[in-house]
Amino acid sequence: MVSIRLENLHKDFGGSVVAVDNLSLTFDEGSTTCLLGPSGCGKTTLMRMIAGLETQTSGRIFFDDLDVTKLKTRKRDLGMVFQYPVVYQGTTIRQNIGIPLRRENMTTAEKNERVDEILDLLGLSDVANTDVGNLDYATKQKVAVARAISRRPPIVLFDEPITNVDLTAKLQLKLVLKELFTKLKQTVLYVTHDQTEAMTLADKIALMRDGRVEQLASPRELYTNSQSVFAGRFLGNPGMNFLGKNDSSEIIAQLLGNRYTEQVSSVGFRPEDVVVSADQTPGAVPAEIEHVAIVTGGQHLVTLKSGVRIVKAKLPWHVPFTKTDGEHVWWSVPETKVRAFDSAEQLVPSGAVAVGS
Amino acid sequence: MTKPMTAPTRRSGKDTAKTAGYYSLLWVVAILFFLPILWIVMAAFKSNTAILNTDYLFTPTLDNIKSVFDRPNVTSQFISSLYLSIGSVILAVAVSFPAAYAFSRWKFAYTDFLMFLLLSTRMVPAAAAIVPMLLMFNLFGLRNPFGFFLLYTSFSIPFSVWILKGFIDGVSERFDETAMVNGASRLHVMFKVVLPQVKPGLVAAFIFNLIFVWNEYLFNFSIGSEGVRNVPYGIANGLVDSGGNVDWGFLAAMSSLYLIVPMLMIFLFQRYLLVGMTFGTVRGDV
Repeated sequence: MVSIRLENLHKDFGGSVVAVDNLSLTFDEGSTTCLLGPSGCGKTTLMRMIAGLETQTSGRIFFDDLDVTKLKTRKRDLGMVFQYPVVYQGTTIRQNIGIPLRRENMTTAEKNERVDEILDLLGLSDVANTDVGNLDYATKQKVAVARAISRRPPIVLFDEPITNVDLTAKLQLKLVLKELFTKLKQTVLYVTHDQTEAMTLADKIALMRDGRVEQLASPRELYTNSQSVFAGRFLGNPGMNFLGKNDSSEIIAQLLGNRYTEQVSSVGFRPEDVVVSADQTPGAVPAEIEHVAIVTGGQHLVTLKSGVRIVKAKLPWHVPFTKTDGEHVWWSVPETKVRAFDSAEQLVPSGAVAVGS
Repeated sequence: MTKPMTAPTRRSGKDTAKTAGYYSLLWVVAILFFLPILWIVMAAFKSNTAILNTDYLFTPTLDNIKSVFDRPNVTSQFISSLYLSIGSVILAVAVSFPAAYAFSRWKFAYTDFLMFLLLSTRMVPAAAAIVPMLLMFNLFGLRNPFGFFLLYTSFSIPFSVWILKGFIDGVSERFDETAMVNGASRLHVMFKVVLPQVKPGLVAAFIFNLIFVWNEYLFNFSIGSEGVRNVPYGIANGLVDSGGNVDWGFLAAMSSLYLIVPMLMIFLFQRYLLVGMTFGTVRGDV
């Protein structure tokens, strides 16, 4: 299998529009990396450059030690799946999957065996001889995935493959893909703006913003050890709570204790780390309940208001919560769960207590 | 996969009457438009007296048809018409497809303007171009089949490019990219991936231009030479006999024969033509 290495890769569309900003990083061989970020962060452009469908302004791309920067798409030996399910009308599923194998140096028996294997992997064996024109969106996308991997290219790229699939099929496709990634051990890059998708599928997530990679880490690491305000805000549902120094310096000092320094400009903490109690506890902040909702998973999502500050708390489903709108409570956050950021919105060196402590 | 069951729809008497009404109206309109053609075809089998007396009942005769082929040049006119129209339109579509593909896939600056420019060659009334064309064709020695082949091809290209671009735009670029990622060359993408998906467009471009070239009279009459005379020219030229009388029988017979080719084409390609009429505006991309 093959690793993908980027060296100062840069792409701008003339003038100030920078899609990918001087990126240098490596995607490990055999790993699944999700490029996660909001629309327009450059994730698709980055993937298209790796595929050779877009030309970089400067910088280089390596597959292992091979410089592919100037190599044509068709010589890069890739598989790719797009958001739009590409199937060749007038052919059956089986024929579709066989198309990329036509030029391969394999006997017919080997090709058939390969197609059978892929059909089985994606659970398409029963419908193998169906004409692709009659398939629903999700199944068409499955066929596209199957075709992309049928040649067994060492690198497979996915560009938001299940964004337009309906919810039930999405869940099923996600499982199929996860199994596929584990079994085939190809180097996979997967573009998505859906954090749940990224969390489920990725070995590592590259969180992107404005053409830069904010953080490249495992899903759990990225969530619990967010290195920037952006990572804190983008991940989680809802994202981190943030308190700024200009209106909340006292609370910040209280939350950080002896970690408080001049450098700190804001603090962030995850809603599920907020502890809400009816009685005052040391270090707790008084608040009024603005709203209580039940969210997916049965947790209570409580919106608290302390003066002008809004803090969201996500409370476990198994702990009864009887307070309602307008009642007064106290909230606090364990000191180890509070993260401090500087004025550039990056984690300050003493901003986090090591994970697990 | 089982076919979805459709419940038999039960219509009320009022609805049935309404539908019947609509259909009768459509039939009336259709027949009204078809009458002139019927009249011409009927006249082809009438004697000249029967035509002038506008007889509805007549004894059919093949004299007119026979006499058409007794005339010199008629056969060669049909042959010229056939190869000039079919040949030039096939060439036009063959040239237009790569052009349309380029216009659709490489959206460099001024693409829209270039497309407009292409069509603008058809904006000058043909009659206004006759004299310069005559001078030019004389100068280059193009008043022969080869020259007319080029002339008709160049007339057919702009429209074909427009139709085909619409169709190719309807094929997602993801098809191109998927094929290239799988190792296909650009030519393979064009001819093996995109081309099969725009067949209705090719047929539409072919038929529309065929009808245009098949009907072309003005240039053929004014700047053509003996070798390129086509059927419209033949009809106009043979219409009046040496005595100054209009030969209606000849006109009707020649016109009826002349209708066969376009009708045959439309009959053969009708299932594509309906899609073609929408100019490929039904898009599949998301």
